[in-house]
Amino acid sequence: MTPQQQMPVVYLENVSKVYGRIHALTNVTLGLSGGVTGVLGLNGAGKSTLFKLLMGKLKPNSGTIRLFGEDPWKNPAPYARIGFVPENEKMYDWMTALEFVSTFARLFGMTKDEAEQEALRVLDFVGLADVANKQIGRFSKGMRQRTKIAHALVNKPELIILDEPLQGCDPLARTTINNVIRELGKSGCTVLVSSHILTEIERVTEQIVILHHGKLLALGNLHAIRERLDQIPHTIHIRGEDSRGLGRSLMGHPAVFGLNFPNEHELNIQTFHFGQLHQDLPKIIVEGGHKVELIDNPDDDLESILGYLTGGQSHAK
Amino acid sequence: MQSNDSPMSPKRFDRKAAAVAEFTMKQYTKRISTWVILSVGLLAVSIIMLFYFDTMLREIEAVDNDYDSFDPDGDGYPSGQERLYGTDPYFSESHPGKIDPSILPDDPSKWINEDDIDWDALVVGSVGYDDDGDCRNAPIAPSAQDGNRDGIACNVRINENQFSGGYTIRGDGYVDEDPDDEIYAKEAIHRATILALGKFGFVFLIGIFLPLFMATGLIRDEMESGTMHFLIAKPIRRAEIFLYRLLGFLAITYPYVIVMSLLCAILFGFSGPSDSVFRLSDIGIWMVIAFATLLAILVYGMMFSMFGVLWKHGIILAIPVAAWELAMMFVSLWEPEASVLRFSVLGWATMIIDAGALMLWPDMEYMIEVGMWGGGMAPLQGAEQLMVFSSNPGLGLSNFSSFIVGSVVLLIQALAFWFVGSALFSSKEVA
Repeated sequence: MTPQQQMPVVYLENVSKVYGRIHALTNVTLGLSGGVTGVLGLNGAGKSTLFKLLMGKLKPNSGTIRLFGEDPWKNPAPYARIGFVPENEKMYDWMTALEFVSTFARLFGMTKDEAEQEALRVLDFVGLADVANKQIGRFSKGMRQRTKIAHALVNKPELIILDEPLQGCDPLARTTINNVIRELGKSGCTVLVSSHILTEIERVTEQIVILHHGKLLALGNLHAIRERLDQIPHTIHIRGEDSRGLGRSLMGHPAVFGLNFPNEHELNIQTFHFGQLHQDLPKIIVEGGHKVELIDNPDDDLESILGYLTGGQSHAK
Repeated sequence: MQSNDSPMSPKRFDRKAAAVAEFTMKQYTKRISTWVILSVGLLAVSIIMLFYFDTMLREIEAVDNDYDSFDPDGDGYPSGQERLYGTDPYFSESHPGKIDPSILPDDPSKWINEDDIDWDALVVGSVGYDDDGDCRNAPIAPSAQDGNRDGIACNVRINENQFSGGYTIRGDGYVDEDPDDEIYAKEAIHRATILALGKFGFVFLIGIFLPLFMATGLIRDEMESGTMHFLIAKPIRRAEIFLYRLLGFLAITYPYVIVMSLLCAILFGFSGPSDSVFRLSDIGIWMVIAFATLLAILVYGMMFSMFGVLWKHGIILAIPVAAWELAMMFVSLWEPEASVLRFSVLGWATMIIDAGALMLWPDMEYMIEVGMWGGGMAPLQGAEQLMVFSSNPGLGLSNFSSFIVGSVVLLIQALAFWFVGSALFSSKEVA
């Protein structure tokens, strides 16, 4: 095996990036190959910095970055195998979607005809075939995002990096984009997708990287990370017809240490073993014949997880 | 990928170059500012042309260069006629009517443009012929017929100037002293206007301002708007992006310069002084002007684009350069051999025009010397303009060598700016 094959597709070792006095990334070490990975973090956590370092736009202050075994700052060659969807909103509004995608396809060395053919293929893939000849300036936010995604797929990349692809999109566009991401993951691509909203990421992957204040806070399966949170009190919020009845059924459960009823249709369950309770809950509801409208984990958003991971310091600067 | 060859292989460079250049061109055509700048250039050149057409269409008044059509003593005889017959032009009782047989007074117009310059090259030696006979036939002392003391009466003596180079022209009194002003003025003004337009209108205005407004943002605007992310996340080197963007800029500005100079060549060709309908011989000078302008645009384009990479407000760096070049423009007119011109792009570009003009109009020096001599009286109309706008290349080389050296120097400058600009861009972080 060559060293390139041994090395993960995306590889960072002790990478730090400082802007003036701001530590945008601190000692991040990471290796990723295959599948969809969500990069989670609040705004300013270092997600975009991480991607810009990967895309050779920024030079790390220290550490090593390798894409397919090569340093992206020194050599643009790996970009032949990469598709990048930048976060910035500005595009060339005077271009049609087809012109936009095919123009950039030609930067991979395609002829004009090849580029146009490939552009139509990827525009079809993201569901924009019928508006391929419309100006981007007339597109909705979601269509613009999909055009950007299409432009990043035109070289049939092995690694795709999407910076906040769902930001500002309507639900329909979100679904389409999520489907595209899932499909790319299934096809064997390595996909990196960033977001600051946990539920967005959850729809496409369970493999996540959490960045916080420029540091790599967690890496792995989302549920595995949750498991680690089991020792921390968690709240599950349930709304149903008979909250008291459901409360009675839960009373003896070893994971439950507290119940409260904000009103007769609602129930909050306090648990130390969130994972276990999450597993048992459907069974308890069905066996007890309870009617439930909604199960929600108010704590199960990114900020709560960050809170747990940082020991309640997530908001502290 | 579609085929086995690497996307970074040289055979794919031309495709990328075409893609970036084409895209850049389209981007220009979508901007109103592009059309405003190109229109202003056209307008500026048109205004200079209007002055020219005004001169060419106007009849240039025949000037009595030696003042001999006048009749200072009021006896009805022009002073030239009186001198020919040896009477006193300042005493009314003395005139050719009083001699036997009595002579009728001439129409004063006979004594305007009556003694043209009879030689058409600067040849060292004795030249000239006293057409109107007011030297040859005048009853004056032989010493008065040989004012230039060369031992030959009523001639013009051309000597090489030992100290300052060039020639000195000394005529005997009243020889070739009243040339045809219109022919000289139209030819001189025609050439002077072409040179002025070439240097000011083309090399300076178009050559600097097009790059100033159009090339400074070639890289910078994309970095500022964030759209550079689309370009640099591709298998393409930044030095290539820098170069191919500039190619797109050239693809817009080069045809513009070529069309503008062609337009001038046609308009000047039809309205310039000529025996035939069209002055075909001037095509060469317009090609030289276009060539010098294209080189200037290339160098300034690279330089200003580099300034844009260097600093967010690259145009602030470019403006002093434009001011310096304007100063150099004036230096090139008044002190064309000043060595400070070698530190200016414009100095080299105007040198190319000067060298080209001297090659294409080999009688330029004659035109200037004769015009400034003007028959021994005041310079002829148009001579001073021609002297200002035509210069010697000042390298001490032949015109052809100066032309080549100027072109090579500008190409080297362009390469240097490309190199520096690319290096800066390659080491620049694009946040």
